[in-house]
Amino acid sequence: MMVRSLADEPPRAATWLVSLFTLAQETESILGDLLEEYSSLASREGTAFARRWYWRQTLKTIVHLIPTAFTVAPWSTAAGLAVGFTATKPLVRLPGRIILAVLERYQVYEHHFATYVFFASTGIDLGILISFLCVGCIVAWIAKGTEMAATIVLSMVQVAMALVAVVYLLGKSGGLHFWMLSWSLADALAIVIGGAIVRLSRFNTTRVPALRSD
Amino acid sequence: MPDRDYLGEFEHIVLLALLRLEDRAYGVTVRQEIEFRTDREVSIGAVYATLDRLETKGYVRSRHGDPTPERGGRSKRFFRVTPKGVAAVNRTQLALLNMTEGLSLIRSHP
Repeated sequence: MMVRSLADEPPRAATWLVSLFTLAQETESILGDLLEEYSSLASREGTAFARRWYWRQTLKTIVHLIPTAFTVAPWSTAAGLAVGFTATKPLVRLPGRIILAVLERYQVYEHHFATYVFFASTGIDLGILISFLCVGCIVAWIAKGTEMAATIVLSMVQVAMALVAVVYLLGKSGGLHFWMLSWSLADALAIVIGGAIVRLSRFNTTRVPALRSD
Repeated sequence: MPDRDYLGEFEHIVLLALLRLEDRAYGVTVRQEIEFRTDREVSIGAVYATLDRLETKGYVRSRHGDPTPERGGRSKRFFRVTPKGVAAVNRTQLALLNMTEGLSLIRSHP
């Protein structure tokens, strides 16, 4: 009877990253290949060596597979990106409009000034962040199988646009707008997190239950 | 003219590895074969990215084997070179031979 101990298992975080970034149709094959080589290396060279090798393979694999999305599923990836790009502007305006309408409807300004200030500033910022999370989910939903590649590219476009805006404002007003850049980075991260949520939920519903090795 | 395309360096190497391995060609064996013969560390991601590209071009075909316990219940994905792939290898090999004809590259290498 073969019993797998915890030390025999490859690093879970690395495995999680591989399952997140690889194309949906080849996640199982790649994880199987990595596990097979990891087990063989761990018995020959020791667990520490095998874990280092596994991490190295994981990072290189992610770097290689992200651009592959555009050759393997160009249409769904491009469609996801196009929809995400067009949906971003109307979607991120919604929280501000809704929150301000509610605050006005219940006259929060007159009765609870501190609450009004919180929702009119931080509340709207958080709402925008949630909107970007939704954009990430929409993009990932359309770009089936290449969720992470599509959301990473869209988030990079967002960051690039924010950088251009910061440079423009820097030239115009002379002041630094790091707050704007930090919010843009958070928004970009929210898009990627949205993609990861959809990717993982799809992976968990479609994966074949692993055979026990004991 | 996609049918007259020459293979990229790594595509060429991957196809040669598949031809060497015949029906034993899957991610692990292809990666190890390339590492063994070229003496450079290759990631499994690079191998799959190239194989996906070659499959899109119609140079390789893949099929899934049965899940095995030592792979955590995951199946192997076996690859095979198609006749179109063999023709691409031959075309690239011939072009390389023509280009290196008359050159003593190995002897002149320091």
